[in-house]
Amino acid sequence: MKNIVFIQASPKINEPAVSQMFLEMAMDKFDESVFNKEYINVRQSISRHTQNNAFELLSRADAIIMAFPLYFFCLPGMLMSFLQDYSKFHQENNLQNNKTRIYAIVNCGFPEPQINLEAVRVIESFSRHIGSDFRFGIQIGGGPMMLSPHVMKAPFLKSTAQSLDKAFSVIAADVADENQISEKYINIEFNFSRRIYFFMAEKGWTSLAKRNGLSKKELYKKPY
Amino acid sequence: MKTLIIADEDFKTDTFHDLNEIIHGLLNDRGFETEVIEVGLQDLTFCKGCFSCWVKKPGECVMKDAASINRSFLNSDVTVYLSPVIFGQFSANIKNVIDRSLPNMLPFFYTRPDGSTAHPPRYDNYPRQIIIGYGEEISTEDRQLFLDITKKHRYNIDVLLYGGHHDDRNIIEAFNQINLAKIGDLS
Repeated sequence: MKNIVFIQASPKINEPAVSQMFLEMAMDKFDESVFNKEYINVRQSISRHTQNNAFELLSRADAIIMAFPLYFFCLPGMLMSFLQDYSKFHQENNLQNNKTRIYAIVNCGFPEPQINLEAVRVIESFSRHIGSDFRFGIQIGGGPMMLSPHVMKAPFLKSTAQSLDKAFSVIAADVADENQISEKYINIEFNFSRRIYFFMAEKGWTSLAKRNGLSKKELYKKPY
Repeated sequence: MKTLIIADEDFKTDTFHDLNEIIHGLLNDRGFETEVIEVGLQDLTFCKGCFSCWVKKPGECVMKDAASINRSFLNSDVTVYLSPVIFGQFSANIKNVIDRSLPNMLPFFYTRPDGSTAHPPRYDNYPRQIIIGYGEEISTEDRQLFLDITKKHRYNIDVLLYGGHHDDRNIIEAFNQINLAKIGDLS
């Protein structure tokens, strides 16, 4: 039975995380009777000091699938810290010739998915450094759309939901050696007007501010 | 002129010391006043993506440990990041500094002339930012990735690479060509 380790690397605490939603969608593609599935939450692993358990799981994995948000066009510091430490663990334990397959699922708040490319390339580089087999990355733009379930049910987003479903199926098929991958970087964009997306974001930020007792003008404060 | 140098406390290798000496020398020659912040793993909490710096306490992180760095950054004319190149990216400690600078931007979106999305600047004037990646054996792929992460997506930020003494002349020449002064509103 192949060991599949799913890594959830959203830095959020007690808040819905889009990376978690995408990871769950990917996890659903793996049949438990065929695969042994393990789950690592990076934030919890670091705060509970259980990284070594996580690293043991990773060292035995046939495939690692990690989902995380884009922070300043690359990996969040929290995930970098985790991967740096794993790389060190890997080196110290002399874990050579590891043919683990690695996949990345990266999402960002900006609508264009291709800006996730450099983050996927960082995972590719990480894979190279630990001698693993980087397979491909799924780059998702407009991730926060997932936080509006009523919008996600709209007919015009059906094609986006299908693209996501297909992309996650491609990961499962690749792990099972059932397909030939043709693309290293798969872009998924929400089928949604850019103008309306910007408008919704602005409305969202101002209403959140209002809930915190702030006017729109106060969002522009310059404390320094 | 005020310069802020941000370095990773956990990667003070020989290459770092060589680079650090060169940069300090170049800044001293110009008579710049220099503040140094060395960041270790325990110094800065990971950003938790709560966006309170946008909608609760605009411009400030609710976790207080980044306040002095952000203040020093905005009050400087030039900020130099000295980061080890790890997997083609900034190290975790340097990336934490960058992640925790989110309050310095506004939450909204706008489209730049090249069609890409960006967050508008919060301030009218930002320091010149120079990112210098260092390492003894940086692969060609990692060098290119380190440049792309910033140069493909962020305007008005200089990115240089330093691999040891053989790069001394290159780094000095490249540094000398940069206009060491505030840059305006990042656009």
